[in-house]
Amino acid sequence: MKVLVPVKRVIDYNVKVRVRADGSGVDLANVKMSMNPFDEIAVEEAIRLKEKGTATEVVAVSIGVRQAQETLRTALAMGADRAILVLASEDVHQDIEPLAVAKILAGIVKEESPGLVLCGKQAIDNDMNATGQMLAALLGWAQATFASELKVEGEEATVTREVDGGLQAIKVKMPAVVTVDLRMNEPRYASLPNIMKAKKKPLEEKTPGDYGVDVTPRLRVVKTTEPASRKAGVMAKSVDELVDMLKGAGVV
Amino acid sequence: MYLNETHLQVREMARDFADGVVRPIAEALDRDERFPGEIFEQMAELGLFGVGVPEEMGGPGFDSLTYALVMEELSRGYASIADQCGLVELISTLLVRHGTDEQRALLPSILGMRTKVAYCITEPEAGTDVSGIRTTAVRDGSGWILNGGKVWIHNAPVADLAFVLARTDKDKGHRGMSIFIVDLHAKGVERGPKEHKMGQRASQVGALNFSDVHVPADMLLGEEGRGFHMMMSVLDKGRVGIAALAVGIGQAGLEAAVDYAATRKQFSKPIADFQGVQWLLADMAKDIEAARLLVHSAAMKIDAGQDATKACSMAKCFAGDMAVARTADAVQVFGGSGYIRGFEVERLYRDAKICQIYEGTNQIQRMIIARELLAKGARV
Ligand SMILES: Cc1cc2nc3c(=O)[nH]c(=O)nc-3n(C[C@H](O)[C@H](O)[C@H](O)COP(=O)(O)OP(=O)(O)OC[C@H]3O[C@@H](n4cnc5c(N)ncnc54)[C@H](O)[C@@H]3O)c2cc1C
Repeated sequence: MKVLVPVKRVIDYNVKVRVRADGSGVDLANVKMSMNPFDEIAVEEAIRLKEKGTATEVVAVSIGVRQAQETLRTALAMGADRAILVLASEDVHQDIEPLAVAKILAGIVKEESPGLVLCGKQAIDNDMNATGQMLAALLGWAQATFASELKVEGEEATVTREVDGGLQAIKVKMPAVVTVDLRMNEPRYASLPNIMKAKKKPLEEKTPGDYGVDVTPRLRVVKTTEPASRKAGVMAKSVDELVDMLKGAGVV
Repeated sequence: MYLNETHLQVREMARDFADGVVRPIAEALDRDERFPGEIFEQMAELGLFGVGVPEEMGGPGFDSLTYALVMEELSRGYASIADQCGLVELISTLLVRHGTDEQRALLPSILGMRTKVAYCITEPEAGTDVSGIRTTAVRDGSGWILNGGKVWIHNAPVADLAFVLARTDKDKGHRGMSIFIVDLHAKGVERGPKEHKMGQRASQVGALNFSDVHVPADMLLGEEGRGFHMMMSVLDKGRVGIAALAVGIGQAGLEAAVDYAATRKQFSKPIADFQGVQWLLADMAKDIEAARLLVHSAAMKIDAGQDATKACSMAKCFAGDMAVARTADAVQVFGGSGYIRGFEVERLYRDAKICQIYEGTNQIQRMIIARELLAKGARV
């Protein structure tokens, strides 16, 4: 079984995000970018499937600017076998919307015929949480979202989902789209020998046109603002004062 | 930017590893002076030992610049962790350059941390002046008999295999020394107790004594009489490594100081608002960056096959002095807290000092720089 893993290049989760002066979005120029953490978990899971012998090949794909090939190299260094870069934009500030991404991925699925698409549940930049679901709909495949555990058994997979207040186990027919949640695994560090080997692994370049997809945005961002800053706390001078304050606030 | 995509990828990996695995336990390792075997095993799996060993000999085959990047990041986590990486790099560079096929067969086990190594030059009477060593190796049938003692040897309390510089001809000065690969579990090897040090306290350092230790003939490294030159020939890379380690200590201090200055309040403002504190931070940042660039430039000279001796000594000397001065500044930014055990900068200041002493003291680095200048001229 071939596994396809879409990976997105996003602003690094450690970076303090700055809103652009004109409010059109977040400033991405000269900011550290990394693989979306949920996608890293998906890559890890795919590699584990390969190590277990369930998967035969892991193909990573990224859609966006040319620099996304760094993200793909990371996936290759972790253990993916090859990569596809769909060059969809020159501008780091243009976000390719979920529907366009899903359509391109559907095109790749037609060419590659994977038995499983493993995606992150969402990208930490825009938190859309839509691409996996849209892809499943376009393909007419089963979908399992927010997965914390995945067991593939022949024509079927058992997926444990993280839902409000607990876990839910479902069975889906393969091929399927599975979107992974934070607790599925802990991604490995890419080893130095694997970083070296990744340089020699194939990275194919495509364009949205190759799949007949138009990536022109359909959504318009009206305004982006910084979250309200937290108000400073007050210092209690004694335990008694603290207790009074807590009582005053109705906490105790 | 001269760092390519692969350099950046390796740096990021080493940085993530240092942040995720090393830095959180650095304080405890310092306190307990513990040999962090479990971290070294993990590093071995990740290929962080023997960074420059070619792929066909079992390493990842990276350049010296990559090695410097790895050393800085590991050291930012904790200098003792980087120092083990530096030691393995030195030993494996010796084996790659001078080893027989049979000796190089030791590499996978060394890089895998299944065989722990030691690099033994210093003796009680021979520190800076290596020609004063008294350890001797005398031919005995097909092999050698080793007698003598080494001090302050990194890994001595835990090592399996030592690369020992010994005198094989007492009349030939620098040309009368040879290197032997010595099994430390052999008869006649005795280990001194572990030393308790000012800093880098997780590094295990101690003495090794050899009395009538038999060394098989095939454990002579390279040519007889070339030992001093072989030891010195790998020191360029060794110095780049220690210089990068010093930069990592400085960088950790800067990061801690910037965070603290932004949060610590006096006179109703963060202390970062005071120019007196800002200048400390600015001086730290500029000197760390200058040291880093010297390190990278020296590493690139090695990689380009150029004469790198002066560049490596300048990097080692500058970075070592910088680390001591700028971690002192980091302590200053923390005020009294910076002097208290448990605050990272207190440890960093102690960890920095040895950078001016080992791998050739900074006086010796200055001598080398001056010697190169006077022999080859000052023009760049
Ligand atoms: C933590 C630690 C780990 C070590 N690890 C190892 C190891 O793994 N293997 C190993 O072989 N050694 C190791 N060493 C030893 C280290 O390399 C030596 O301490 C160092 O080379 C200096 O030698 P020394 O201590 O004898 O000082 P000395 O040579 O006695 O020097 C004392 C002072 O005199 C100065 N000085 C000496 N000669 C001159 C000169 N001609 N001109 C100007 N100044 C001079 C020195 O710079 C220094 O300031 C380690 C030491 C320590 C503390």
